[in-house]
Amino acid sequence: MVAHFDLDAFYASVAQLDDPSLRGKPLAISGDSRRSVVLTASYEARPFGVRSAMPLFKAKSLCPGLVVAPPNFARYKELSTRVFAIYERGARAIEALSLDEAYVEIGTDDFDEAVAYAHAVRAAIRGEIGLTASAGVASQKLVAKIASDAAKPDGLQAIAPGDERAYLAPMPVGRLWGIGPKTQTRLAQRNIATIGEIAELSDDVVFALFGRGGRAVREMARGNDTRAVEAGRETRSVSSESTFEFDVRDTEILRAIVRELSVEVSQRLGAHGLRGSTIGVKIKLSNFKITGRQTTVAVATDDPATIASAALHCLERADLDGAAVRLLGVRVASITEEPVRQISFFEP
Amino acid sequence: MKFSCSTKDIASAVGAASKVVNAHTTVPILSNVLLTAIDDTIRVRATDLELTLEHVFPAQITEPGSVTVPAKLFSGYLGNLPAGIVELAGTPTRASVKWEKSNYDFHALPADEYPPLPSSQKGTSFAIDARRFREGVNATIFAASSEEARGAVLMGTLLEIAGDKITMVATDGYRLAKWETTLARGLEDGGTAKFIVPSRALAEAARNLGSAETIEVSALGPSGNQLAFAAHNASIVVRLVDGQYPNYAQVIPASFDRSVTVNTAALIAGLKRAELVAGDRASMVKMSVSNAQLIITANSDTTGNAYEELDVEQTGDDLTIAFNARYLVEILNHIDAAQIVMEFLGPLSPAAIRPTGEATEVAHMYVLMPLRQ
Repeated sequence: MVAHFDLDAFYASVAQLDDPSLRGKPLAISGDSRRSVVLTASYEARPFGVRSAMPLFKAKSLCPGLVVAPPNFARYKELSTRVFAIYERGARAIEALSLDEAYVEIGTDDFDEAVAYAHAVRAAIRGEIGLTASAGVASQKLVAKIASDAAKPDGLQAIAPGDERAYLAPMPVGRLWGIGPKTQTRLAQRNIATIGEIAELSDDVVFALFGRGGRAVREMARGNDTRAVEAGRETRSVSSESTFEFDVRDTEILRAIVRELSVEVSQRLGAHGLRGSTIGVKIKLSNFKITGRQTTVAVATDDPATIASAALHCLERADLDGAAVRLLGVRVASITEEPVRQISFFEP
Repeated sequence: MKFSCSTKDIASAVGAASKVVNAHTTVPILSNVLLTAIDDTIRVRATDLELTLEHVFPAQITEPGSVTVPAKLFSGYLGNLPAGIVELAGTPTRASVKWEKSNYDFHALPADEYPPLPSSQKGTSFAIDARRFREGVNATIFAASSEEARGAVLMGTLLEIAGDKITMVATDGYRLAKWETTLARGLEDGGTAKFIVPSRALAEAARNLGSAETIEVSALGPSGNQLAFAAHNASIVVRLVDGQYPNYAQVIPASFDRSVTVNTAALIAGLKRAELVAGDRASMVKMSVSNAQLIITANSDTTGNAYEELDVEQTGDDLTIAFNARYLVEILNHIDAAQIVMEFLGPLSPAAIRPTGEATEVAHMYVLMPLRQ
């Protein structure tokens, strides 16, 4: 059995945990410059339309009472380590997706025992740490992830073995892995709106729609996700992306987002003891065209300033020229775990 | 315009100029070279707007004037001409070239649209022996950064002039090259000046002007933001990098407390062998100095272990220090001396590398930061 855990509004919840005066208030975690973007919004801020990756000034105009707190990545890392230690109690394997999200292969094949494990983990995270986590329990990763999304915030949803296909069937196609807006448009042209409809497609049609990976997509839609929880999953790249609520054309806002994403990527690299020497940006335009640039640095890095300056250089080279951007990502690849570091003259 | 000249002269001038042309330019005329016939000479000019190169050679001119021709195409054509005399006639739209029974017409662009030469208003100037200049460029520019993302300053090489002394410095933040010599002619009244020159421009200047006797260097323009390198047959004008060069003197320790003197070729060979094993571990080699021996080791779970032993002259305490073998080999490859001396302060402090031997007119050193394990 597999559980997917996701800490609710992690950065914001940590701030509210550490500073009681922030509790119950609409809160955004963000840098404090005029060009900062929201990293996480608390559940109190979400009804106002405040979302992550939104420029802070926009968030403030939507929610005049918005309280802003700075991120504290060292603290996130510390609490994340404690949460992962709780997962260990009864886990066969843990696949960390980020500081606040993980798949756990539970050390039992019994559904009820698995649900009891998820309940116990959620209770321990609340009792021992003071945070809330949402959980999905299922026989496989896809369904567990969808169930935990559906359970948010502070909930648990468990899908019994055998019920996967029926659970997925009414869901919109976009919930499946790898079905983005472009594919959704193509599916809509054929009047395919739900996962259940994909599950019914013939071999020829899935090939025409999805190419060689078509059958795998259909198997997913039928509730047959065979991917294992990969504990030591080798990390080939670490990236952080933001999809915007509205298209962004302003270069200064894009640059601010690149800086924030660089900090996130740097923290993720640091959390896993990784460094990388290929740094790039991914840009999705409003017409869904995806473009990107990358550059190589001589010495593998996890330094936020180095990542940001390389990523900003890539952004500049992408020559957007005012094009409307829908998604922006920063990626570090050519990853090494080697602890040896080249010392620089300019190190503090 | 109309002239005739030797195929060798024009092929070499256009060939050199075509190397400056940016193959990806979106401005059509920047793909062209400008040929100007005036006063019994032909001037061949190419520019990418940052760097302008001009070569001059003698010709027999029947009608003065200018023409611009696509650089790569024209250079390819000229490179395939045997020795002889070539005749060229140019109009704003066409360049007609005749060599024996070979006749070609190339599409041209109007010469008056070609970017004008940068300001000729001269400022500070000095002169340097061309062979020395070539040596200095070769000894330093490789140490500059090649990462555009880290900015133009570190991609540049610093030329620091104080009276009749020139110091060239390049660093990428991990290694530093410093080279000093005396100028053929220093700055007037012993003044000082600093220029951050794109390293690529120095490479072009060394290649195109290095065979002359002396190179005349002058700051150009009202704000002195360009530097001209000129010899009898060619000149280069480059836009200087705007910015503050890091305080390099600060990273060079004033003194060291231990050193080894070692045979350069043996050290290079040992490091290259050890690096094969260390490739997947940041090219890390450990160097241990003890009992007048230098022991180089490298190890990796995937490849194996390396062990090399060299006899050295040792002064001061024993030491173990780790370096990126590739950085160290690259530095050693730029030192033309049978023996080098490496000086240390400790395992995490910068090390200096210099040639040994009699003091000459050139002072030459490198500083390399170690690896932290």
